[in-house]
Amino acid sequence: MNIIVCIKQVPDSSRVKVDPKTSTLVRAGVPSILNPYDHFALTQALKIKKATGANVTVLSMGPAQAKVVIRLALALGADKGILLSDRAFAGSDTWATAYALATAVKKTGPVDLVMCGQMAIDGDTAQTGPGIAYHLGIPQITFCDDISASNGKITVGKIIDGGHQTIEADLPALVTMTMPPDYEPEYPSFLGAFHAQEKPLETWTAAFIGADPAKLGLKGSPTRVDRIFPPPARPKGQVFRGSAAELSAKVIEILKKENVI
Amino acid sequence: MPKIDAVTRELMLDSLKHYAKNKISSDFIRQCDAKNEFPSDLIKDMYKKDVLGVNLLLIPQEYGGLGGSTTDIYRICEALARVDLGIATSVFATFLGSDPLSVGGTPEQKNYWFSRIAKESLLVAYGATETDAGSDLVSLRTRAEHVVENGVVKGYKISGSKMWISSGGVADLYTVLALAPGGPSWFLVERGAPGFTQDVHEDKHGIRLANTAGLSFDEVYVPAFNLIGGKEGQGFLQAQAVFGYTRLMVAALGLGAGEEAIEIAVDYANHRVQAGGPLSEKQGYMHKLITPHYIRFEAARAFIDETAKKLDVSNHGQATEGAIAKYFASEAGNRAAEDAIQALGGFGYTKEFPVEKIKRDVKITCIYEGTSEIMEMTIYRGRWQEHLKSRGLYYANMAAEMDAINAKTPDLGADALACGLRGLAKLLEECRVQHLTRHQYVTFKLGNLIARAEVAAAFCRTLGKGATVEGCKFDLETLKAMCRVNAKEAAFDVATQGVKLILGAAQVADAAKLLADSELSSIQTKMHGVTEDMDKVSAKLRETFRK
Repeated sequence: MNIIVCIKQVPDSSRVKVDPKTSTLVRAGVPSILNPYDHFALTQALKIKKATGANVTVLSMGPAQAKVVIRLALALGADKGILLSDRAFAGSDTWATAYALATAVKKTGPVDLVMCGQMAIDGDTAQTGPGIAYHLGIPQITFCDDISASNGKITVGKIIDGGHQTIEADLPALVTMTMPPDYEPEYPSFLGAFHAQEKPLETWTAAFIGADPAKLGLKGSPTRVDRIFPPPARPKGQVFRGSAAELSAKVIEILKKENVI
Repeated sequence: MPKIDAVTRELMLDSLKHYAKNKISSDFIRQCDAKNEFPSDLIKDMYKKDVLGVNLLLIPQEYGGLGGSTTDIYRICEALARVDLGIATSVFATFLGSDPLSVGGTPEQKNYWFSRIAKESLLVAYGATETDAGSDLVSLRTRAEHVVENGVVKGYKISGSKMWISSGGVADLYTVLALAPGGPSWFLVERGAPGFTQDVHEDKHGIRLANTAGLSFDEVYVPAFNLIGGKEGQGFLQAQAVFGYTRLMVAALGLGAGEEAIEIAVDYANHRVQAGGPLSEKQGYMHKLITPHYIRFEAARAFIDETAKKLDVSNHGQATEGAIAKYFASEAGNRAAEDAIQALGGFGYTKEFPVEKIKRDVKITCIYEGTSEIMEMTIYRGRWQEHLKSRGLYYANMAAEMDAINAKTPDLGADALACGLRGLAKLLEECRVQHLTRHQYVTFKLGNLIARAEVAAAFCRTLGKGATVEGCKFDLETLKAMCRVNAKEAAFDVATQGVKLILGAAQVADAAKLLADSELSSIQTKMHGVTEDMDKVSAKLRETFRK
């Protein structure tokens, strides 16, 4: 069984600050991490590997620095890494990115299962995974928080409004994974990190995967971004002090004033 | 087998940081500190190869380890010190304890012991210090007598005692320095050997998570195989061979602890509003309590990294460089932690905030592996020899190197430092002519000034290449501002303090000439801009450490 996990290097959004003067994101000095949803998807793929002996390849698109997250994936147990890195990919939106990744998936040979994180924390679009499934022409199951595989099928737990579905699917298929709220990413031992150095990590170009240049980069990207802005700051709350009786009277007064009661 | 590359090193550091975040809470550390408790289970967990396996770094690859380079290990020491200096010391004790084996062990000994250290996650301790033998190992009293069978030395009986041994009460394996008939020698002694007892855990000022205990040996038998290197009398050479390396690691510990203290202080200062604005925007506060420390840290980092790269090539030696690194970084870390308490005011004085503990902890880096005073003496001795051998050219050459750097990169303050180094060469010469090194204090102070100048030179050298050191959090422009401040102040200090030293110790007939030789008049023309650069650095510290 061949599994491909698509991963992305993202700025640690919990550390990104907003410049108070220009209202733009300050990314300088912010560490890059493996997108947590992808981290979870990888962990699930490695769980299948442990159970079935599947072969796990990680695929990413980005500049050379993105090799760091591929190394992390290899250190955690993935077998092979592929980085799509080429100026031709620069400026790709989710549609063009999905096309490039799907083209690379085809290039790797027969694949049974493609796994993605639900979304990347730097854009929150959740479009790339489904886009890859479209370009590959395979079924997709999104919002999964659990997966297992046996006898050429997968069984996934899918989160739906107000509940949870269990779905069995034939392969090939693509799933996007979302992690449970208490998920703590795993990190490799020193030995794991060390042995990742010896695992194959290839860099592929647009020409190598045979991608159509017109479908890549800005040219291949239909999305247009008008502007990016932080939401307006919430007004400061008010603090009232006093005895329980005074404060409950105050609460009633405010609720009446706001026409709540 | 490959060496650990930079990406792998970052992955390891990342794993260590996440492990610390998830498994070593500040409450846990505070409790162990209060109870004076060695977190045995935690250290053992960190040694498990499927958890972290941090100890594998010191074990050569052929014996199941990772064969970490000096660079790998100093970076881990720095990161561990940021978590807790007691935990860092416990891990470092295993590194240190294994060193005599690394340096002097026969292939058979390395194979046997290193394989066991790797497989059994053994804690190792380094047993050198005695009541009368600290930095002065010549007064060693512990003895190893021959046990002869059929005319052949079958083993040794060790008798004596050791004190201040890191992990002394908890280690599984000990490297012990003892006086054998053929001279001082290292022996491997296992815990549980009959006649070998460990004293109680010392009640220390700081690093209370690190076990420290005395050891007693009452005719403890070890087989001849446990004599490291299989030859008696190699003990001092084996000990001295690693001083450069081990002291560099203590430098990294001082650096890590100091960085942690100052970053906590900056975060506090970003949030503490007084007189209409955060403390971090008050120039006096930052320039007095915060900024000079981080400038010294970056200078220290450049020097430590430069020395580590040399040790990665030579493996041993670099004794003077190791002493400079340890002296400069540990003193910088210690002073920084002191000011971090001041920066937090009343909060800093409580156990609620970690800077008070860091201050207690970091002081040890100025003491163990050779006190700061021994470092001053070692630095002086090493460089005095160079001064004599080169007929006064040692620092003149370094000055020329700084001039060359300045010609290519004129915004590092290397021109000021070049003046300071030329002045240093002349001040050393004056000390020689006037026989001033008969005063021990003069030698200490020269060690201090030499360290100041050489660390500044390493900072200029690094940035002169357009490079930044791994682990540094600043852009090149900020580092250049730091380098300018450091180079100018180092040059000024060397000139003024050097002149003061000589005037105090000798009858100087021509004080004006001495002052001219110090190059102070050239240095003073280059001092302008220090305050403006400090402002730039303060602003960057504010931004970088805002949480």
